[in-house]
Amino acid sequence: MESGPMSVDSAVLDPPAVPEGGANEPKHGGYSRFELELEFVQSLANPQYLNYLAARKFLTNPAFIAYLDYLQYWTRPPYLKYLTYPTATLKMLEILQQEKFRQDIISPDLAQAMIMEGMKTAVEWHREG
Amino acid sequence: MDKDMDGRFERLEKGIDNMVNALVKNNPSDKVAEDLLAAEAELSRGLKLLETHQNNYARIQQLRQETSLLDTQIKDIASSLWNMRKELKAIPTTTKPPDGSKHEFTTAELLAYARRISRNTLPPPGVTNGVDLSTSQPSTQPPDPEDSFRLQTQPSQTQTPNTSINLSFNGTVSTPGPISAPTPNMTTNNNDTQHTTTQLPPSQPPTKATAEARLPLHLKPAVDATHDATFLPWPSEAHIRQGGLAAIQRLVDAGIDPRGYDPAEEERKRKAEEQAKKEAEERARQERDAAERRMREERERMARERERARQMEGAGAGGGGGAERRDSVAIGGGAARKPKQFTFLGGDDDDDDEEDED
Repeated sequence: MESGPMSVDSAVLDPPAVPEGGANEPKHGGYSRFELELEFVQSLANPQYLNYLAARKFLTNPAFIAYLDYLQYWTRPPYLKYLTYPTATLKMLEILQQEKFRQDIISPDLAQAMIMEGMKTAVEWHREG
Repeated sequence: MDKDMDGRFERLEKGIDNMVNALVKNNPSDKVAEDLLAAEAELSRGLKLLETHQNNYARIQQLRQETSLLDTQIKDIASSLWNMRKELKAIPTTTKPPDGSKHEFTTAELLAYARRISRNTLPPPGVTNGVDLSTSQPSTQPPDPEDSFRLQTQPSQTQTPNTSINLSFNGTVSTPGPISAPTPNMTTNNNDTQHTTTQLPPSQPPTKATAEARLPLHLKPAVDATHDATFLPWPSEAHIRQGGLAAIQRLVDAGIDPRGYDPAEEERKRKAEEQAKKEAEERARQERDAAERRMREERERMARERERARQMEGAGAGGGGGAERRDSVAIGGGAARKPKQFTFLGGDDDDDDEEDED
C-alpha cells in the first residue's frame, strides 16, 4: 500500500503492529494500517463486496492477488483474535487464494447463492450442537 | 596328579621290592628299610594331597554348576529385559506437552472473545433469515406453558435456543451472548408472568400479547420488530459504507491525500482556530463595550451637568422652558422605550437643538 497502491512491484510489507495504545503510528484518513486492514479483510467476507471487487477487475490484478496473500497474516496469532466475523472471514480468505474462486465470484448468481447459504447456516449451525 | 601319584607308588614298590630282595637274600639293611618307610610316608602324603585335590575338584565342579546356573539365570533376566524393552518401545507414546500453558490465551480472554463475536455469529432472537426452524426443531423437552404462549402470540417468531420473549420485548438483544446469561433471567420472568396472570390484572407482557392477538393477521408483521430482519454473518454493505475505507474514499474523492491526514486532528485544529477567533472577537467586543460605556457615562455626566445648569437657568427664567422639557421627555421616552439614560440623551439632543435655536 505504501509504495504505489496497485503496482506489482510494491514492497512486501510486514503485517502492521498490533495496537498497544501507541498513537505515533502514521494515520491514513485518521485510521491506522491495522484498523484499515482489519476492516478490509472482514469486508472480504461479504460475497456482495467480493462480487463488486470482481466486477471492477480487482480480483485479476496481480498486485491485488499478492495483497490477498499478504492478508493471510490474519489467520495467525496475534491478529486472529481481532476478527469479529471469524468464520466467514477465514473461509473467504482461504478460498480467495484459489484462482477459480476469484474468477467465479464475478457471477452475481454465485454471490447471491453464497449470501443465501451464509444466512441459512448462520441460523442453523447452533441448533446442531 | 596321576603321574605324581604313580611316581610315589613306584617308589614304594621299589622300596618294597628292595626290602623283599634284601629279606630273600637275608641281608636286610637299615637303609632299605628307611627308604621303604620314607616311600610309605611319601605315599600317604601324596594320598592326602590327592584327597585335597579331589575335594578341590568337587568344589570346582560345584562352583561350575553354580556358575552355569547363575549364567542361565542371567540369560533369562537379560532376555526378559530385552523383551520388556521391546514391549516398552512398542507402546505408542504421547508427546509430552510443552511446559507452561497449553494455549496462547487464557480462559478469560477466550470468553471475552466469544462474547465479542457472539453478536456476529448468532442471530438475535426471532431473526430466522426466512429459514423455517420450527419443523425440524427437536422436541425433546415437554412444552411448557410459556412455550405455547409464545407460539400462539408470535407465529412468525420461531424458537431459537436462546430466544427469550422477554428479551425481545425489552429490546435488549444487543448481545445474544452466552446462553447461560439470559436463561436465569428468562426463568425469573416466566415466574413473574405466571404470578401476575393468576393474581393481578395483566402486566406488560400479557397486555402486549392480547394486543397482538387482536390484530388482524396482515397487520401482525407491522408490530413485529423482527419481521423481515435478516442476520448476516459478515459485515453488511451499510457497515462497509460506514467504515474507515469508505471514509478514505470520500477523502480521495474530495481531493485530499489520506496519507497522514487525520480528520479528527483537522477537526480539532479547526475547532481550536474557531475558538481562538471567537475569543478574539469576544475580547474585541468587550473592549468596544467598555469604550462605549465609558463614552456613555461621560455623556451622561455631561448631560446631567447641563441639565443642572439649565434647571438653575429655568428657575430664574420661568415656566416656558419647563413645558418644553416635558415635551422633549415624552418624545424621548416614546421613541423606542430605550433605557433611561437614552431618554436623557434624547432630551439632551433636543435640548441642544433648542438651546441652539434659542
